[in-house]
Amino acid sequence: MGKREQAREEAAFMRGDVGVDGAATEEKQDAAEVERGKAREALLRGKAYLGREFLTWLLWRSESGEPVAAFEKTGLSVLFLGRVVLKGISGDVTELSARGAMAPYSEQVRQGMDRGLLVHQARLMLTHGEKAYEVTLDAEFLDIRAAKLPALMSEEDDSRTGERLYLAEQLSAMITTLVEAFIAVRAGRTWSKQVVPAMKEWMRGEEGTRKQTALQRAASARKR
Amino acid sequence: MPVLRGAVTFSRFLVEPAEGAPADLKRSLSRALKARAFAPIERRSEEERAAGFVELENHDATDFATGDLFYGEYALFAYRIDQIKVPGPVLRAEVDKWAAAFEKEKGRPPSRGEKGENRSSVRQLLRNRAVPITKVHDVSWNLKSQQLQIWAASRKAVEEVLGGLETAFKIKLIPLIPASVAARTGIEDSALGPTAELIGMELQAEVSHGEA
Repeated sequence: MGKREQAREEAAFMRGDVGVDGAATEEKQDAAEVERGKAREALLRGKAYLGREFLTWLLWRSESGEPVAAFEKTGLSVLFLGRVVLKGISGDVTELSARGAMAPYSEQVRQGMDRGLLVHQARLMLTHGEKAYEVTLDAEFLDIRAAKLPALMSEEDDSRTGERLYLAEQLSAMITTLVEAFIAVRAGRTWSKQVVPAMKEWMRGEEGTRKQTALQRAASARKR
Repeated sequence: MPVLRGAVTFSRFLVEPAEGAPADLKRSLSRALKARAFAPIERRSEEERAAGFVELENHDATDFATGDLFYGEYALFAYRIDQIKVPGPVLRAEVDKWAAAFEKEKGRPPSRGEKGENRSSVRQLLRNRAVPITKVHDVSWNLKSQQLQIWAASRKAVEEVLGGLETAFKIKLIPLIPASVAARTGIEDSALGPTAELIGMELQAEVSHGEA
């Protein structure tokens, strides 16, 4: 053994990395375990699980096509569009991304949710009266990302700024309204006794008839 | 300038005055912005970064006159971050070139001290030539509803602007996420643990042992 090699081994022993037999003192963590640990940390950070439960609840509520909440005395409808990212903490899969016109309402996504993966990021269309907004939301911060606001009506630059700010704030307020509606249900007595069992039934595909409704809505949304 | 045009991407906050915050925020706004205004990087100094508030429509201006700062109920301004980066490989190549010339001239390689001295002067030279990378993030603050938006896509940028705002205005910015909405409506934390049936049983066990 060369001097340098010997010195390296002694240093490792002094650091406590290896024992007298030269074997590692601590077993290296399994890669899957590391992955699950990261997923768990991401879920608990800032109560991100509430955000995921919110988006999952919203997906379930939106499928019927009925308004999910009232905003400024008018119904607020939600439709999930395009790409959806699911995240979870158990099992072999901790993240799943699905892309497709109706991917969020697909059987594959619902099966993933039934196995503990919840919606972490999604693209939504919010319809309020005659105005339609599109936005991408993530569960941890509920930041507004790449939003599409309704067409601006004003022609002058100054008024357009005001209108843009107003619409951006309306969109933010709509998200808050949806969160408030969720929190009211989430903290209520029906959450664990009625809502969660109904969501699980839907995830397992035991509800049956709603899928067609969502497809019809997507088709009409595209026409608009 | 995303507030005025471009991608609509922002983080949402509710403004809560912290202890020691001025009673009339609108009046003190301009003063607070000026106190933390952006100042360009001093070329002769060692600093590599400068950050601070600028006007929304002119990223070199820090006057914050009423006409430039307020728009109806809103206060509109921006947070500018300048950074100078001397690329490591370029610095190394310049020092190696100098070392080769030194050896040719003196017939010996430069000592460690000589090399170090040269490295810092080359670094300064490259720094003087480098163009700062500028990033500007808009802030819109509705003074009536006390909702504030930071128009930035990167979370790191949002965190930095957030820190700048909280220090400058002595405010607390509450993110509009489900946990804070629940707290505002008086719902206790204990009522909002993870739903085992949705998330998985193993986490529920962890949370009940107090890890969350």
